[in-house]
Amino acid sequence: MADVFRQEWGRINAALIHQTGDWDLAEECAQDAFAQALRRWPRDGVPDRPGAWLMTVARNGAIDRLRRGRSYRAKVEELAVMATRETGTSNDAEPDADVDADDGGVPDERLRLIFTCCHPALAIEARVALTLRTLTGLSTAEIARAFLVPEATMAKRLVRAKHKIAHARIPYRVPPAGALPQRVPGVLAVLYLVFNEGYSASAGDELIRRDLCDRAVALAQVLAELLPEEPEAKGLLALMLFHRARQAARVNDSGDLVTLEDQDRTRWEQADIALGRRHLEDAFAARRPGQYQIQAAIAGCHAAAPTAQATDWPRIARLYQLLADMTGSPVIELNRAVAVAMADGPAAGLALLQRLEAGGALAGYYLLAATRADFLRRLGRNDEAASAYEEAAVLAGTGPERRFLNARLAEVRSLDSGC
Amino acid sequence: MQYMLIHAGAPDLDEAWNDEAWAALGAWLDEAIGSGVSIESSPLRMDADATTVKVRDGQLIVTDGPYAETKEQVAGYDVIECASAEEAVRWARGHPHAWMGSVEVRALVGGGSVAHQPGPAAGKTRYMMLVCTDPAVEPGELARVEPVEPWVAEMSSRGIRLFGSELEPSGSARTVRGKDPGAIVTDGPFAETKEQIAGFDVLECADLDEAIEVAAKHPMARAGLVEVRPFRSLEED
Repeated sequence: MADVFRQEWGRINAALIHQTGDWDLAEECAQDAFAQALRRWPRDGVPDRPGAWLMTVARNGAIDRLRRGRSYRAKVEELAVMATRETGTSNDAEPDADVDADDGGVPDERLRLIFTCCHPALAIEARVALTLRTLTGLSTAEIARAFLVPEATMAKRLVRAKHKIAHARIPYRVPPAGALPQRVPGVLAVLYLVFNEGYSASAGDELIRRDLCDRAVALAQVLAELLPEEPEAKGLLALMLFHRARQAARVNDSGDLVTLEDQDRTRWEQADIALGRRHLEDAFAARRPGQYQIQAAIAGCHAAAPTAQATDWPRIARLYQLLADMTGSPVIELNRAVAVAMADGPAAGLALLQRLEAGGALAGYYLLAATRADFLRRLGRNDEAASAYEEAAVLAGTGPERRFLNARLAEVRSLDSGC
Repeated sequence: MQYMLIHAGAPDLDEAWNDEAWAALGAWLDEAIGSGVSIESSPLRMDADATTVKVRDGQLIVTDGPYAETKEQVAGYDVIECASAEEAVRWARGHPHAWMGSVEVRALVGGGSVAHQPGPAAGKTRYMMLVCTDPAVEPGELARVEPVEPWVAEMSSRGIRLFGSELEPSGSARTVRGKDPGAIVTDGPFAETKEQIAGFDVLECADLDEAIEVAAKHPMARAGLVEVRPFRSLEED
């Protein structure tokens, strides 16, 4: 039942917002419909088309509320027309009345909702919160917990975003084709941010984090389906799936981070990997490469390798080169150095790293120091490695990362310096 | 000679409005409209509903919020017709906003040619577009800024730009604070930010996307910042 709810919440919200223009009303009616289902389904059994059932109940609820309100005649009529179109009966029909499709024949308006929630005129935190609330049904309290802010703060953020949508007239629509190239990256970025918030081990409740990842994957799935012409949407979905496949293997029983090299690859989720591969192939078929597709290709290389040693590092290094040319990002350059070190040895990686350090763009970034430490350790330069690990541990924010670096530090200290 | 009165106030301004302030605003408008001084006037939505637009290296950058973080925010405006700056300051002194917050007085470049525009048209929203300088942009860039006339011509013919004007530099602004007879007039704008309002245009658009598109095409989007903020109609409140 939870699965049905999660799937249908966004669809119902999107349709009701489209019909009424009222975000709060839509949410209340969706909530009421789910509450009714919780009462009735255990008693009467789950209807054949649960989505249509929920949509009908929610829509009827909206009609009732609007009738009780004052000046919404036109909107009520629109809803009533929609009801007739949908069920072939009057809007007083029982929820279980015959409908011809699982979605109750209501067009899928979720794309409008996604683009509106991810509008660039909203603050990025608001985009993330609104997307999670209206599209995935995560409660305000849960979103607040996931992002480590007080619930009242999160509630205010959501209200403010909804006010801005209404007052500044942010349109509820999918941008016209000409504007899509400008708007799609922003939407993908919000979904990736949600995923990373769940995936990064920075802080917070493990269950909530895993749930965030799953919701981000589900949203990326919806987006990839609704934007079939957009290979980057499929690329992002593939990337998330490859990452999620490794989720169980990347933290050990005591909550410590396990590097890709040391992960138990039998614990990787093969279903996610296979699905990721399929979406990536689909994406590549469009022959319009982009950041997410290339990142997914890199993650796919890792996923395909039976061991760290057997990984196609030269290919990964080439992919990072492509990505670096595309983005100009120093973090990508850092990753390229890691791949080059695996392909051509730590000395080659260190040379690239030194060029990067001279640029200064990553000063204070713990992974820069941690990477240098790793190269030095593999070159047997243990003294230098130890001081780099110390530097990295100071810069690293939290639990698992810091514990990992300290463990490595102890390891190189215990070795002879080799001089 | 036309002058813009920029109303500024703290974010909790709304709660501070009391019967006395409302009555004073009503009386001020009656007198200003009756005597032909008031040409245009509207309250604006607060900072939270503002959107700032700029174009850098050909990339459109849209951000939530006003052109600058200030203690007081732009809450409304008037365009008035006066014989002199002193007369404009006198009108500002009588405006309740001077004691609710502050009123900045700025002359329109070239005397101004704003005429009253009833509306908005059905289904349209009015936006105040504040054209601002950006201290992060090097002065050379500002000197190379394209002429605004083609933009004005295009947006006026599309029925989007209703009126607007460049303003005399912020250095020439005068700001009124407090309640007469105790109101204090200081030289300079209401906020000493590095970003300063250089001009304004009133737009009538179908939605925020259209307002953003129009703002992004303004030459100052490349050489400065352009904020769009919806008008506020008193009936909705």
